[in-house]
Amino acid sequence: MPRAATRSQKPGRGSQAQPSQTQRAQRRRAEEPEDEEEEEEEGHTMDVDDEDEERGGQNDIKRMAHALVRLALFNEHKRMPLRRDEISKKVLGSSTRAFARVHLAAQGILRDTFGMELVELRTRAELESESAAPGGKDDLDEMRKAVGTRKKATAAGSKTYILRSTLDARLIQAASATHEEILEDEAEDAPSDDDDDEFGGSSAYGSIISWSSADQIAPLGILYVMLALVLVSGRVMGDQDLRAMLKRLGLTAGGDIAFSAASTHRTLTLDAYLTNLIRQGYLDRQQVGADPKKGKGKRGRISQADEDSGQTYEWRWGPRAQSEVGEQAIGAFIADFMVTQERAEDAEDEEETSGAAKARAKKKEVDAKNRLEKMTQGIARAAGGQLSEIK
Amino acid sequence: MPVNQKDVQRLFLQAVFSRGVLSGKLAQTLWEKAKETVQAVDEELDIAESDWDTFVTEVNDSLNALDLEFRHVQDETTGRIMYAIANRKDDTIAQMAGDYAPVEISFFKAVVEQIMLAPRESYSISSLAALREVSALKPKSNMSKTQAEVVLSSFVAKGWLLKSKRGRYSLSARALLELSPYLKSTYPEEILECVICYEMMTKGVACPSPNCKVRMHFHCFTKYSARSRQCTTCKKDWPPNPESMTAVGEAALRDGEDGKRRVRRPVEDSDEEEDTGGDNDDDEPSQPSQPDRKSKSHQEANMDVDEDDDEEDSDTPVKRTRGSRKN
Repeated sequence: MPRAATRSQKPGRGSQAQPSQTQRAQRRRAEEPEDEEEEEEEGHTMDVDDEDEERGGQNDIKRMAHALVRLALFNEHKRMPLRRDEISKKVLGSSTRAFARVHLAAQGILRDTFGMELVELRTRAELESESAAPGGKDDLDEMRKAVGTRKKATAAGSKTYILRSTLDARLIQAASATHEEILEDEAEDAPSDDDDDEFGGSSAYGSIISWSSADQIAPLGILYVMLALVLVSGRVMGDQDLRAMLKRLGLTAGGDIAFSAASTHRTLTLDAYLTNLIRQGYLDRQQVGADPKKGKGKRGRISQADEDSGQTYEWRWGPRAQSEVGEQAIGAFIADFMVTQERAEDAEDEEETSGAAKARAKKKEVDAKNRLEKMTQGIARAAGGQLSEIK
Repeated sequence: MPVNQKDVQRLFLQAVFSRGVLSGKLAQTLWEKAKETVQAVDEELDIAESDWDTFVTEVNDSLNALDLEFRHVQDETTGRIMYAIANRKDDTIAQMAGDYAPVEISFFKAVVEQIMLAPRESYSISSLAALREVSALKPKSNMSKTQAEVVLSSFVAKGWLLKSKRGRYSLSARALLELSPYLKSTYPEEILECVICYEMMTKGVACPSPNCKVRMHFHCFTKYSARSRQCTTCKKDWPPNPESMTAVGEAALRDGEDGKRRVRRPVEDSDEEEDTGGDNDDDEPSQPSQPDRKSKSHQEANMDVDEDDDEEDSDTPVKRTRGSRKN
């Protein structure tokens, strides 16, 4: 592109400049997206361009934004955060300084067309400073979580991004409910001539968004249980403790975790799965006593050797869990699980026929609500402070 | 966050993404449910009445600039309408990198190549031959056959390939939807087009006349034969049932008739050629329906393989003309 070529590649504009620019631009988005003023504000990138080139530049931005949207959509499959340098390589090419504008334009398309957005993951430093300052609010309002009001990013971000839904939480919730009609159509779609393969297609649940085909829900369930365990252990859990807990659930280090046929492996050992989760950013493992500022800790494979070497590790939530799942949601998951479990047991003992029984049932309803609240508070206490919103 | 009308489309697209490929019937049900769901969240919302085609057009208006398209084909086996969000650039396989490791993608490409180059328009490959592709991968991979089996079933589970009762792999509706730019640019000479619907075709019927190039999907044949029993081009009288026509797809081959492994670049597979090469000639008389066309295509095919050897290291697909493959 002529424009990119005529510009000198000033490496100077550091990442510090970007967040504020993004916000500034975001505010402007409501007004006029193709505003020339926008270009001028970024004065130093503009010195020689005349208007014609600027128009070409806008087209470049558009083209690159489309490429970024495609990259984000295709990349999301493997649940690996999209790295900034990958974006530079595959989308920006020589015009690396266009990132902020390309990112902004791509966000617009993602939100408007797909109800998704790119979210920059938190760095460990950010997460730590945020947990030090109690920012959590009382209300467990689900909406806010899903909307994910982005807080102002601090100076140097992680430069890794994930895609997240921007749909209303009520929509997301409703999209996982089973509908008879969808179930029927899904059954028809399933290949009728199943081969001799014992691993048939993934079963369908009749929900609008088919989590069962988009994700590996069995391993995901294990992940959420681990997140729950770490959360109620005060947000950090010793390796031994976590493993002891998992063992009680029947998961040993060498034990197999089953994946659906869509995966390229039938099973992964727990250790291999944990390694994956670290890479994807769901969990974080650090050596005890290691200087956290010294970087991300060992990102390598988890193996028996770690334990044998006498080093001790501890587990925390990774940035992806903070930004994709959120403490409040896991808190709600635990509370719901604990309380509903109790209620289900109660229900078995009783038959609700008489008026008195109905009144009792009503009371139970209220009790359950109270218990749910108490449970949620208890979880927050166990976590060591207010559960944070999704980041 | 307030809900608005456009959420119907957003929810619908997320529903489609979560499935990869889906039938038109399911797609329309999902659209209805998406509307209901958005309406239920905000009863005040005035969701405009529109029909399916209009909705699809709107969806494609938003996808167009991204070189994506929500499009459909008729499934070649079942005749069902299948939809997917197809990538219009021919980099779909490269984009599968989101899902698969590089070696798995090379493996996929190799299997697709064998499907496209399969003899006698059979567009299919036996599971044994598919697994054999692992050892021919370049650069050499350490993928085991067992692993390769799992990877293959992942391709099937994700709808990239079909596996038939006979255990043969062929291209699925999703592959035809999403890979057609790649297939057309990589195997321009191997692509057959249905004379009725003009879509690419890998399963269906061929006119029994030796020189006639008319090919049709099964479902297109059914529709066409209700109107006419003559070939669209050579006017030969056709039998009423597709089974008596010349087959395109795996029915064109019997087990063990796969013949030599075909390549665009020579690979050290000489031993394999010897193993299977003989089968062809032996099996020749066992299919009396089209002796003429077949034996010729065999000779041609064999010659082509020799030609391939001369085209070492060329990146362009083998120039095997349609004519030479046909008869």
